[in-house]
Amino acid sequence: MSENIHQRALHLIAQARVEGIAQADIAWLRSHLEECEFCVEHARQTDHALRMLRTATIFVPDGLASRTQFRVRLRAQELREREPKRRALWLACGLSWIFGVASAPYVWSLFQWLGQRTGVPKLVWEVGFGLWWSIPALFAVAVLLMESSRKGEQADWINQGS
Amino acid sequence: MAGPTLFFSTLMGDEAKSIARGLQRRDPDLLDRLIEQYQYRLFRYLVYITGNKERAEDFFQETWIRVLERGHQYNGKSKFEAWLFAIARNLVIDWQRSRKAQSLDTLTDPEQEHPLQLADENDPSPLRQILSHETEETVQTSLQRIPAIYREVLVLRFQEELQIDEMAGVLSIPLSTVKSRLYRGLEALRGALQGGASL
Repeated sequence: MSENIHQRALHLIAQARVEGIAQADIAWLRSHLEECEFCVEHARQTDHALRMLRTATIFVPDGLASRTQFRVRLRAQELREREPKRRALWLACGLSWIFGVASAPYVWSLFQWLGQRTGVPKLVWEVGFGLWWSIPALFAVAVLLMESSRKGEQADWINQGS
Repeated sequence: MAGPTLFFSTLMGDEAKSIARGLQRRDPDLLDRLIEQYQYRLFRYLVYITGNKERAEDFFQETWIRVLERGHQYNGKSKFEAWLFAIARNLVIDWQRSRKAQSLDTLTDPEQEHPLQLADENDPSPLRQILSHETEETVQTSLQRIPAIYREVLVLRFQEELQIDEMAGVLSIPLSTVKSRLYRGLEALRGALQGGASL
């Protein structure tokens, strides 16, 4: 019997256990195993190894589950306590944005009037208006980004697995 | 023939969706139940990938904390256990990275210069302490001879009975790599149980 035939048989023995094989391959392997003691022994050893692996037992330490449940509940409580603060932050951001947009025309007029009264160049009071309007928003964005970057530290790799 | 299969897959899908909904609202009773339900499988997986019981205990707790915190990211489209193992595995990898390693694969790749030392410094045979019977001692001795990347796929496939595509998700590697590791791992396990050198 040629070496290639044995190689094919050994590969099929493994493949059958790892991902399954086609009916034709099953038939071929069965007929090969009827006449090849070496491959029969290989298949027997493979099955024995898998049986041993499947039946191996590991003992979970006493109280591990209850300790974990306790820790998880504590953490859940911490997270629940943080929730209102986060909601308040979002609410403040939203209100600030609405107020900023609504008051922008009036503030623009105010900056324009102040600029004319003090005689500063148009560019200066325009920049002043830009800063007045954008700095609080940028600050809020920075806070939110910091918050979400902390939250999403490991989100990427967890998403990979989901 | 497709009837029962379809029934069970629908049932599992419903279960996964219900878990996803519970995790979204951080339902403490659901988490308690999941911890109970998956304690054995998760702990066994962690013991096999870390090779250390105490470390596995720490990672076990950390994994469930992560499940609580990131539960909203589980969408219920995949098996919950696959997502759970992915979290556990990545926690282990992060911990190893923090010890200036690149990844679990690098640490445990038999072709690398310094493969992972499975034994704890203070305990030369940690797995031995938690596997009780004689047969299991044989298994654990054999498993210790196998590089962790192969041990891990064997555990996921033949103990956890994950599908190959689910394993690819857990391990973040291509299907072909999962398969080649399974073939090599199976051969290594067979060789190791025969008392011969593996790989």
